[in-house]
Amino acid sequence: MGAFSELANGFATALTPENLMFALLGVLLGTAIGVLPGIGPAMAVALLLPLTRSLDATTALIMFAGIYYGGMYGGSTTSILLNTPGESASVVTALEGNKMARSGRAAQALATAAIGSFIAGTIATLLLALLAPTVADLAVGVGQADYFAVMVLAFIAVTSVLGSSRVRGLAALGLGLTIGLVGIDRSSGQQRLTFGVPELADGIDVVVVAVGLFAVGEALWIAAHLRRRPVEVIPVGNPRMSREDWRRSWKPWLRGTAIGFPFGAVPAGGAEIPTFLSYVTEKRLSKHPEEFGHGAIEGVAGPEATNNASAAGGLVPLLTLGIPVTATAAVLLAAITSFGIEPGPQLFDNEPELVWGLIASLFIGNTALLLLNLPLAPVWARLLRIPRSYLYAGILFFASLGAYAANASPFDLFLLLVIGALGFMMRRYGLPVLPAIIGAILGPFAEERLRTALQISNGELSGLITPFSAVVYTVVLLVLLWPLVRRLLPRRGLHVPVLDDAVHEIEEAHHHHGTTDAVSVETRSRPEEDRPGR
Amino acid sequence: MRTAPLRSLTAGALAAGLLLTGCGTTAEGGSAAGGAADGPVSGLRLLVPNSPGSGYDTTARAAAQVMEDEELAQGIEVFNLEGAGGTVGLQRLVNEEANADMLMQMGLGVVGAQYSNRSEATLDQTTPVARLIEEAEAIVVPADSPYQTLDQLVQAWSADPGTVPVGGASNPGGPDHLTAMLLAQEVGVDPTAVNYIAYDGGGELLAGILGGQIAAGATGVGEVAEQASAGEVRILGVTTEERVEGVDAPTLTEQGVDLVFTNWRGIVAAPGISAEEAQRHVDLVTEMHASEAWQQVLEEQGWTDAFLAGDEFGAFIDEESQRVQGVLGELGLA
Amino acid sequence: MSSPSTGLRGRGRSEFGVALFLGGLGVLVIVQAALLEESLIVRGPVGPRTVPLLVGGLLVVVAAVLAVDVLRGGRGEPEGGEDVDLTSGSDWRTIALLAAAFVANALLIEPLGWPVSGAILFWGSAFALGSRHPVRDLAIAVVLSVGSWYLFVLGLGIALPVGVLQGIL
Repeated sequence: MGAFSELANGFATALTPENLMFALLGVLLGTAIGVLPGIGPAMAVALLLPLTRSLDATTALIMFAGIYYGGMYGGSTTSILLNTPGESASVVTALEGNKMARSGRAAQALATAAIGSFIAGTIATLLLALLAPTVADLAVGVGQADYFAVMVLAFIAVTSVLGSSRVRGLAALGLGLTIGLVGIDRSSGQQRLTFGVPELADGIDVVVVAVGLFAVGEALWIAAHLRRRPVEVIPVGNPRMSREDWRRSWKPWLRGTAIGFPFGAVPAGGAEIPTFLSYVTEKRLSKHPEEFGHGAIEGVAGPEATNNASAAGGLVPLLTLGIPVTATAAVLLAAITSFGIEPGPQLFDNEPELVWGLIASLFIGNTALLLLNLPLAPVWARLLRIPRSYLYAGILFFASLGAYAANASPFDLFLLLVIGALGFMMRRYGLPVLPAIIGAILGPFAEERLRTALQISNGELSGLITPFSAVVYTVVLLVLLWPLVRRLLPRRGLHVPVLDDAVHEIEEAHHHHGTTDAVSVETRSRPEEDRPGR
Repeated sequence: MRTAPLRSLTAGALAAGLLLTGCGTTAEGGSAAGGAADGPVSGLRLLVPNSPGSGYDTTARAAAQVMEDEELAQGIEVFNLEGAGGTVGLQRLVNEEANADMLMQMGLGVVGAQYSNRSEATLDQTTPVARLIEEAEAIVVPADSPYQTLDQLVQAWSADPGTVPVGGASNPGGPDHLTAMLLAQEVGVDPTAVNYIAYDGGGELLAGILGGQIAAGATGVGEVAEQASAGEVRILGVTTEERVEGVDAPTLTEQGVDLVFTNWRGIVAAPGISAEEAQRHVDLVTEMHASEAWQQVLEEQGWTDAFLAGDEFGAFIDEESQRVQGVLGELGLA
Repeated sequence: MSSPSTGLRGRGRSEFGVALFLGGLGVLVIVQAALLEESLIVRGPVGPRTVPLLVGGLLVVVAAVLAVDVLRGGRGEPEGGEDVDLTSGSDWRTIALLAAAFVANALLIEPLGWPVSGAILFWGSAFALGSRHPVRDLAIAVVLSVGSWYLFVLGLGIALPVGVLQGIL
């Protein structure tokens, strides 16, 4: 494999002081645009693309890589600081990230996000360089039925985020699923729950749901109960990550990479599902599960790494097959094409210099992001020291600006307020917000996969069974039945070697989907049922 | 949850350059009423019924830019009002009865959406201005597909439509869906028997084709041209009258299927404007079309010229509407 | 999360309202699904109605279970937080003012333009949230809204409505 020497060549051409300067400039601009409300990474890249036009190809690619990573990181920054995620992939980041920021640990949240993004981006780019053609062949074979099987697993994992009162968690999930139903049903072309309102026909944007439930709902809730006595400003504290933070972050970074890359590489995998799976995985594996919901650093480190790894994974189908599977990838395709690179199966053979130049650029852009944003994290964190009235007024201001700028429709502002009111109600009556978001994201995905799979098989249920999905369903069954099986087994002979091996192997085989960890939730969350057997 | 169609966003990057130059000053304004035929028209607003960066958006902004550069018009405001396949924008235009300063970018997608979304506002209420461009649809199969020719595909399709799933990158009622259904009608397959798979954008459709999930795809030829020249997919036919330059595939009519159906884009104006006002719009767009700059835009963007102005365009919209309504009606969508 | 407080006592009855809301929503989803036409396009057992019926069913069942839970004395735990004081009841006046500022922006953004409506939103929200520096707030609001307008329109080419300031900005 000449990959490493090729890569070295790529670096040799890329690493000049001038190029490094453009990398930093790209990161700076990308971050600055990415933090603006209503502008996700796709838009940020699209808006800044013309800036790279006048440069020579290598320099342009490097600046572009900086813009790309900067734009993604900028989106996470707003999620963490203001609870206003700008795109669906950073919704999960907001969960723990904003809680950390509120308790004076914004700098750490931003730092673990930046380092996690860097590590995940680096590893995933390396995987991209080494494995792209192989991964692409495998990925295209993953069909709708396989996705649906993964969705079933994901729904089982949802039980772990239902919160302390299961009925209220399920109520929130139901609300989320209902929001997800609104819009045109893609398979039949019929409108559901739109009540003749044309603005609802395209469904409710998950960003509007997230910003409404998180930012607007919270602003209303806090307004209703604002401490009237002078509150102490949020302490910025020590801006560095402590040893403890590092210890708790590095595994989530690596796990996030492992979860995110395959999802990104699979067409239509996207970043929503893997970031969510990373979140539940970290929650299950954490030694501090009680901190989740109150600012657990693992809950930022994992999903952020996942998000970045998934973005790099998305380059696999893009470069090797010419398939853009996410909005950002579609913009990337346009950008790469404008540099004279025609993505496709022959790309790696025909244009090695450009490909390795691009990959080297991604490394450089990623490094520039880390160098620039790590020192900036404490500066950003200071933003939260402004008085509460300005902070929440500012959040409402930017949430509105973002909602309007995305679709240029005042209707979205009203929608935002209605969903914000829902978020208020949920906070008041103890319905957890997270299952609602998950329902709004997972519901439509799962339904669409199921129905497309059935459509392709002409309605035959057998179309849902593929070798891959069969394995996943077996895992699901084992997980569901495991408590029962264990109780039926004699106490001493608790280990049935065959079954244990099977479970172990399945876990190994599917570790890259990160689902098995999440699934074990069901088993562990019922300790009282296990007790009689002891 | 619902992402913007990817083919739109691909254009987004390209449109960004135009976006950056598209707006700027707000100082120019005023009314265009009674505008002199010779001087530049001012105060026009061009409504784009879907998102920034989409195909309609790119077309509208390019057209506005040419009009400004050629000094045919000044201070054209291009704005987006998206939703429901363009019918949200259509409703807005229809509400602007007799407003001679309001134009709307539209195309085949809006024709289908007015039925599939059961829109109260319809295109026959608007004032036709001109059709500008079109793109051929391609009937495409994976490289390892057993179907070497359109005829073979049609035979298998007619024999058992259910087991020959056909995919497209648009919802029922959109251009790809209509192409599949009209083709079915033409070759004697009952549209209700067609097994149509709606994918979320060109990228997912392509993955579905390459992964062998579907037997064939119907989509814009630009979405698959590169993969076809790389030998990953095979284009069995294109839906234009003439072959498409740079694409090695016969037309449908060459293969004995009497179907010409393209994904076109054009401009309409608000309802209830006077004949002179309508003519002024037609003149403006005709001059724009005749300019060197517009030809250059066509070249750069890879668009096929399909200029058709005024009443002829109106008649064309009527024809298309009837055709689309016919097939969607059979499917219970109109 | 903070311990259940005494400040929000008497919420028992309003908790039934949540159950009622969920149940009503569930029924609405079910009815709407039942009214959908049978699709001629869709194959197989799962049509456009199936998932809505399941979701509606889930909501109705959850509503019933929640009602029973409340009857037995179960109470939802209001969310606590750094800035949240749960010892007193909801401050509806603040919420109303905040919502009014929000709605004002939504209504005025097109006729008056973002530079004006955004400033109203920020100023109104800050006022609702207890800021008592009207002049300073106004200055901040105008800087934010005009600044963001210029940034989006000139810097990024994303058209935010300019409204009454047409020709001035």
